Order: sequence, then structure tokens, then C-alpha cells
Amino acid sequence: MSAGGGGRVARGGAGTRPRTGLHEGVYEVFARKRRGDPLRHIGYIDAPGDELARVYAWKTYDEENWFEMCVVPRGAIIAVNRSDGPWGRNRVDR
Amino acid sequence: MTGAAGGDRARTGHGAADATGAAPEPGPLARHILSLADTKRLLGIRYSDWILGSPSIETGIAASAMAQDEWGHARLLYSMLKRLGFDPVAVEQDRPAGRYYSAPALDDPFPDWAAFVAATVIVDGALAVALESFAHGSFALARSRVPKMLAEEEFHRQFGAAWFARLANAGGEGAARLEGAARAMLPTTLAWLLPGDSAYETLVAECGLWETARVREGFEARVGAELAAVGLSLDEIPPARAGWDPERRRGPGAPGEEAVERARGDRNRALFVE
Repeated sequence: MSAGGGGRVARGGAGTRPRTGLHEGVYEVFARKRRGDPLRHIGYIDAPGDELARVYAWKTYDEENWFEMCVVPRGAIIAVNRSDGPWGRNRVDR
Repeated sequence: MTGAAGGDRARTGHGAADATGAAPEPGPLARHILSLADTKRLLGIRYSDWILGSPSIETGIAASAMAQDEWGHARLLYSMLKRLGFDPVAVEQDRPAGRYYSAPALDDPFPDWAAFVAATVIVDGALAVALESFAHGSFALARSRVPKMLAEEEFHRQFGAAWFARLANAGGEGAARLEGAARAMLPTTLAWLLPGDSAYETLVAECGLWETARVREGFEARVGAELAAVGLSLDEIPPARAGWDPERRRGPGAPGEEAVERARGDRNRALFVE
């Protein structure tokens, strides 16, 4: 798994990663341990679609007994105050 | 089943060692549990073959997690045999390949990724339907332990469905290999899932397992859409019952010796230091 991912939006909004030959997108993974805890960014996974993103996230980040986990296509995250980093490419201010 | 809902010695399980201490002969319930447990153990081994070398790191991690799920489920199923008078440790560690009850589709390693994907839908799907039937029966240990297995299996279903659709929709060689693998696995897996013999009828009558027609409906509901994507229908595929072994509840053959050595954990035990 490598960092990065394009800003282009594929099905489900994930950035496409054709260099793998799998046409995968990057999904950010968020989770909380207990009800009421803040949702925390715990990592990311590459997946070719939303269904496999759910499976890969659950199976990859299974070191905790998570109360809740969700995945977000990287391309769907809108940067607010920074233009660097993986989400900065998604700025919509121009 | 008389006392099966929680009794210690289900009549269909047989199990009590005789006066000489010889291992008991498994009855229908014990054979059913062995059929489920051995298939899960072998499926875990076949999944584990692809932890390295699968199409992406995430896929390999998922394969690893699914292998661990299958091994854990197998261990829980083997442990149910204790209730029927068997020593689960001996069952796990002492049997030769010819005494395995596993689904024939797992006798050999998956030749390619398409076969792995086909197995997640067909073999894992058949196991899930069989377990659902078992959980709804009267055997208390199945009622209490199997639902958690089925919850974990839901991710296997999602994995299989997504990958199956992906290969099928891609067309070309991948779809052709997928269809070929599915076509090869279905006849023996249908026979394994739907034995339709007197032993299974006993389980229906005495343990409350689903009747064969309902199991088939459950399997159709589970895998029908995926199979249709490669032009297959269960209606056109008869179960392969030639050479049926009523004792092992499967057709002829056996898993490869190398896989059985891994299933028994021979090398692991050789490393034990007292």
C-alpha cells in the first residue's frame, strides 16, 4: 500500500490508481472504539470499489474491537485550509 | 433428535468409546460436523495459499483474515464433537487424508485467482448455507456458536460477490477462467451440500436441519446472481453423486497429503519443545 492517489474521481468518488493495473481507488478509513468517541482517521486502503473497500478496511484494521468504522473515497474529501498532503488536491476553491 | 437440543450424547452422534477404549464410529450428527469442520479447515488452507501473491496487498490481507476465520470456525466445530464423545484433538491431529470429509472442490490447490474467487462464492457460500441450517436446528452448541460464525462470514460473502462481479464484468480471459472454475466446483459442491441420503434425512428428522429443498433454495438465493453473471444456473448443473461415500458424505478422492499435513499441524507439533 502506498500513499498518494489521484485527484480524479472514479466510481464512488475514489481517486483512480491505474499504475497498479487494478484501477483501484484510495479510501480513507475512519473508526471509533466506543459510542460517543470522536471518529478517528486510522488509515487508508486501496480498493476497486465501495464493496471491497468495506471488506478490506474491516479486515485490514481489525486490531481493535471497533464500535463503528466507515470508509470515504479520498476524492470525496474536500480540503479546507491546506493544499498539500493527500487531501489538498481535492480543493474546490478555483 | 432425542436430547439433541442440549443433551450430552445425541443419538445421532453416537460417540461413546466402547469398553476397549476404541474410537467410536461417528453417527450422522458427528459426520455432519466433520463435514463442516474439515471443509472449513481445508478452505482456510486454500485461502492461505494466496496471502502472498494475490492481486493487491489489501486482497492478501483479506485472504489472510478469511483463512483465520475459517480455521477458527473449524476449531469451534471440532470442539463440538466432544459433546458427542469424541476427542477433538485426536480428530484434528490423527486422521489420514482418506478420512477427511471435506468438500472435493478443495482437494487440490486453486490453480489461479479466478478459482479462489469462485470458491469464495461457491464453497464458502455452500458452507454458510449449511451452517445457517445447522444454527436453526436443535443441537444446542450449533445454536449458540454458529450465529457468530455466520456474522463473520458476511464479509466473506461481500468479498466473493464483489470479486466475482469484477472478474465476470471484465470479460475476456478472467471471466472465462471464472466460469470454468465455477463450472468445475459446482457439481461436487452441490452433492456435498445436498447429500440427500438417509443420514441427512435422519438429521432433518432428529436435529431439525433444513430439508434438502430448503437448503437448495438458500444456496440459490446466495449464489444465483453471481452465477448468472457468467451464464450459469444451478438448474443446469446436477450434483455429482458418482462414487458417493456415505461415510465421508462426499464423492471419491481426498485432499492432497501436503494439505492434510498442514491441516493436522504436523510440522507445528514437530517444533514443540517440552
